[in-house]
This record gives sequence, C-alpha cells and structure tokens, in this order.
Amino acid sequence: MDSAALLQFAIAGLKNGAIYALVALGFTLVFGSTGIINFAQGEFFMLGGMLAVFFVRLGLPLPIAVIAGVLATAGIGLAFERLALRPRRDSGPLVLIIITIGGSMVMKSLSRHVFGGSELSLPAFSEGPSIVVAGAAIERQAFWVWGLTIIAVVGLTWLYSKTKFGRSMRACSLSHEASRLMGIDTARIVMVSFGLAAVLGGIAGVVVAPLTQTSFDVGARIGVKGFAAAILGGLGNPIAAVVGGLTLGLVESMSIAFISSTYKDVIALVLLLLVLFVRPEGILGRATREKV
Amino acid sequence: MTGKWLQRMLPATVVLTLVVASLAGCSQADSSSDEGGEETAKEPYTIGAVLSLSGTYAGLGEPEKNTIEMELERINEDGGVNGHPVKVVIEDDATDPAKAQAATVRLIEQVDVLAIIGATGTGQTMGMRGDIDRAGIPQVSVAGGTVVTAQFDPLVFQTPWSNSLVVPFTLSRLRDAGITKIALMYDTGGFGADGGDVVKATVGEYGISVVAEQTFNPGDTDMTAQLTMVKGSDAEAVVLWNAGKESAIVAKNMQQLSMMLPLYGCHGNARAEFAEGAGDAAEGFRFAAGKILLPETYGTDSMSYRVATDFVERYTERYGKAPDTFAGHAYDALYLIVEAMRRLPEGFTTAELRDEIERTDDFVGIGGIFTFTESDHNGMSEDDLVMYRIQDGAWVLDTP
Repeated sequence: MDSAALLQFAIAGLKNGAIYALVALGFTLVFGSTGIINFAQGEFFMLGGMLAVFFVRLGLPLPIAVIAGVLATAGIGLAFERLALRPRRDSGPLVLIIITIGGSMVMKSLSRHVFGGSELSLPAFSEGPSIVVAGAAIERQAFWVWGLTIIAVVGLTWLYSKTKFGRSMRACSLSHEASRLMGIDTARIVMVSFGLAAVLGGIAGVVVAPLTQTSFDVGARIGVKGFAAAILGGLGNPIAAVVGGLTLGLVESMSIAFISSTYKDVIALVLLLLVLFVRPEGILGRATREKV
Repeated sequence: MTGKWLQRMLPATVVLTLVVASLAGCSQADSSSDEGGEETAKEPYTIGAVLSLSGTYAGLGEPEKNTIEMELERINEDGGVNGHPVKVVIEDDATDPAKAQAATVRLIEQVDVLAIIGATGTGQTMGMRGDIDRAGIPQVSVAGGTVVTAQFDPLVFQTPWSNSLVVPFTLSRLRDAGITKIALMYDTGGFGADGGDVVKATVGEYGISVVAEQTFNPGDTDMTAQLTMVKGSDAEAVVLWNAGKESAIVAKNMQQLSMMLPLYGCHGNARAEFAEGAGDAAEGFRFAAGKILLPETYGTDSMSYRVATDFVERYTERYGKAPDTFAGHAYDALYLIVEAMRRLPEGFTTAELRDEIERTDDFVGIGGIFTFTESDHNGMSEDDLVMYRIQDGAWVLDTP
C-alpha cells in the first residue's frame, strides 16, 4: 500500500472520528454535571441536521439556517431538561436515564411526522472540489468538521478549567448535595449542560448533513458511536472524548485497509472491550472517581 | 400541594400527549378508505396491507400507502369488484419483522382479510410467512429481495423486480460495455447483501470477475476507506447494491477521490432523494429500473404507457409530486389482487383467489407486464427493465 493511500485512510478515519468526538463531547458534558448518560444525545444530532434543512427550505440563507438549526436544537435540549428531567431529578440516575431513552423515542417519532420519512439534503458549507494533499483528497466539508471540533474542545476545556461556571459544573458531578450547600444553583447548571450538549449534537448534525444527507432515524446509530467514543476516551473530560472519537474513527478505517470492511464495526467494538478490560476508566479517564 | 402535583405531572402529561398524538397519526391509516361502502348493499371485500409507515423504510411505505388509498377510491367509484366495495386495512410494521408478524395475525384473526399486501421490506415479508401459510391467505409482497420468491411459497407473490432479474440485466450491460473486472460494493442489510450474493453467484456467466469486494453498514457516513481499496485494485467499473442514503455518499466519495470509474447502481437508487443527495457527483451514475421513471420508454403507443401516464398524472395531481417506483409496486400489488377477484364468481375462497392470482397473464402494471406461472411468482422479465443514466441531475435513458 502506498503512502498516499495510507494517508487517505487516515483522513477518512480522522473525519469520521471528529464526528464521533463531537457527539461524545455531548455525552461527556451531561455526564460531567449530572452523572447520567443522556441517550437522547443522538437525537440532538438528528435534530440539528433536520432543523437546518427545514430552515433552508423556509428560504433562509445557508449560514443563518445552520445557526438557527443549532439554536433550535439547543432550545429543545433546554426544554427537554426542564420539562421531562427536572421534575424527576430526585428519583435517582436510573429513572433519569430511562427518561432520556423515552425522550429520544419521542423526538424521533415527532421528527418523522413533522419532516417525513425521506432523507433530506443540506448544501455544502463551502463549494468547490476536494483539496489534494500528498496524493490524498480531502473534501472541503471535512475542514469544517475538524475546525468545529477543535473550537468545541478548546471552548469546553476553557469553560471547565477557567470559569466559575465550569468549576461549578465539576462540583456538581462530584455531589449535587454538597454543591447546593456551597451555594451553587445546581438546577441551572444541569439545564445549561443539556443546552450545551444539544448545541454540540446540533453542530455535529449540521456539519455532517452535507456529507451524508440526514433523516429522522440517523440519531440512534451516531448515538451508539458517540457513546462508544466517550467511554473509550474516558467519560467526563473533553480531551478524552476527542481522543476516544479519533481513535474509534481511525481503528474503523484501518480495519478496512488491513482486514475487511465487513468486520470494521466488530473490530472497533472488540477494541473498546479490550480497552475497558485493561483500563475500565477509559484511555484518559481518572482511575478514582469520588462518589458520594 | 396542587402546584407541586401539577409540576410533577406536567412533563408526564406533555409526553403522554405527544405519544398519543403520534399514535393517532399512525392509526389514521387503520381506518383508511372504506368510503363507498354505504351505497352498495353487497358486503365489502377486505384486503389487509402491512406497510412500513415508520422506521427505516418509512420513505418507501408512504408512497405505497398513498397509492393504495388513491386507487381504492377509484376502484370503489367504478363499482368495486362485481358490486362489492373493496376495503383495505393498512397496518404499520415500523420496519420491524416482529411487528409485521403481529400485524399479520391481527389482519387474519380480527379483520378476516381475503389477501394481504406487503410488507414493504424483505425481512418483514419473510417474518409474515408462518402466519400466511397457517391461514392459507395469498400475499403479494412489495419488497425487492430475491429471497421472497426464490424461497418459493405457493401463497406468496412479489411485485418489484427481484435482484435475480436486475443483476443479470446489469451484468449483461457491463459485458456489452466491454468491462471484465468490477469492484462490488454493497450494504450488509437485507437488500444489499442479497444483491451482492446474486452478483457473486452469476458474474462468471458474463465473463466478468469481481476484483474488489467492499461492504458498508446501513447508516455509515463515509466510504472513502472502502473506495481507497477499490482505487488500489484494477477494477474497470464499480457495481453498488444499496437502496439507502449510503449510495449518495459512495457517489460523492468517488468524486472526492477523483475516481473516474463508471458507477453502476441498482433499482434501489430510483429515487429523487438519491440524485438530490449526490448532487453533481451523481452525473453519469447508471442504474437499472422499470420504465415508470420515463414513461415514454414503454413505447408511447403501448397500453403500459397509457396505464403509467394516467397513474402518474393522477398521483401528481393528488400528492403534489410524481410517484416513485415504490408507488408503482403498491399499484401492481393492489390490482393483481383486485383483478383476480373480478375474474372470480361470488363467494370465492382464499384458495381460489390464490389460484386466480397465479393465473395472471399479461397484466399491464406499472413495474412491467406480469405473467405468473406455478414456479414464477415475480412474473416479469428483463424486457421490463431499462438502464438509466443521471445527466444534469435528471434521469435519461442510457442507450447501449
């Protein structure tokens, strides 16, 4: 295999991996402030793409439609937390997780009724042929995927480590009770986390839609991949989510290159199991997690 | 107290309302189109239909349901079947074989249908078989997998062109184009894997060899890795078997990798969403499908042309967009049953109905001209297929 082909496999892996990473960041964010897994994260991805297409069809210019799609998804994320999760917040993690599963079903069914069952297309953010680097072709939309992933991870890292709000979020993940006693408005923290997770899912959804088209049922699969990426990297840390996403993407594309396309998902999942076997906390996860 | 209770119940109420609303949306289909029952004294003939109105194949089930409702009105306005109004009870299988099976049981036990149309998907169609056999009711499937009629059941008929018809047609066109080495790509779902198996089994007969074989999963978002493997082989064309949105991704990824190889798809790509999704990457994409996409290919003086243009006009007027091939499959399924009923005397049994459907001879449908025999329940020939090419975003006839 020549180096251009190898580079092409790496690019394909990094492109898919960045998409997984964006979804994984959403899982990490919600886990970070609530300690639960939000199984509706994949539906935020679906909603971002579908709503952007909806706004384009209303006649809005593409950049505005894309931003509106992400913001509308954020609104749905906030409303979901406020209306479905907050009233049961004292019921324990299992109940909340089940509510997120129910929420994902509702979002998917409603989307199917509102937008129909067919796949929808969104134009590419920047027109033009793919860019050739050392014999490997990179489509322009891939730069948007990478750029937005970098912005998201830098932004989140800054939020976590440098702002009062971020520190409050981390405090929440350790203990809601203690945080509340320390004067942190935990309800607001949780709601904002869901809003931000919806923004991340929405961004991933709109940036992928020009590459793949979108439809009401794309959420479940990407949710599984993003979840796997978040677990692989180690839940609760933005950098780890990105490492997990890129690793998963690269393993998939290298499996195609050196083994077989039929088994790429199997190989990726076996790797996930192996990593969890050796390091249950994920590649970059912290070994001990204080839980009260 | 009340305030707290309200606050606690509010989300549950909202969710419940939404669920009920979405269920109501689904069950509208159940009571569909039994108009016209009052005027005639004769008892209605009831047909069941199991379609995917939600789930992965919702985009296929929708035109099928539209077609059945539209044609049913027309049949009943024309006096039904020998004075009996026709009623179709449509059930949603949510693209789930288990639900398709449950719907079949309901149609048989509670509704007492004479025949069943569906399911939309191959897996769902096969899931219904046990109960179809148990009740001895004829089934006309609108699913495209070869297995539906290849795993022969005297009760089961099939209206889409099966892969065992489309694959040889496509391979013969590749041979005529002088191509001897192909790369084969297909999805691992039912339809793609079925097509891939038929290609591998028959390709030798056309002096062609598969030099690269790549698969992808339904829902995959990028095929550049698979295509890089294809690029490294000495394939002269790519044959792609898939009916989902992944096809557009393959076309776009090939353009991205500046691969100039001709790309041949299949009848699963005969949807406007494909050409739209792939954009200018779809230019030159070839696929075999029936003639409905360009009705003039039936021959403008033929009966088929009149049937198809009439259907296209009525459908477009009613639903605001042209029917796709899936609408055509539902049209054929409904009329194959209704025409057989018309030929039978009063008080026929389901066994007699099955025999009469099998006696269908030269029925001019949308998918082609159907002639069933005791061993052929697909009933069409390669003459019903043409090769299309996408040019300037539209389908044109690809003449050899």
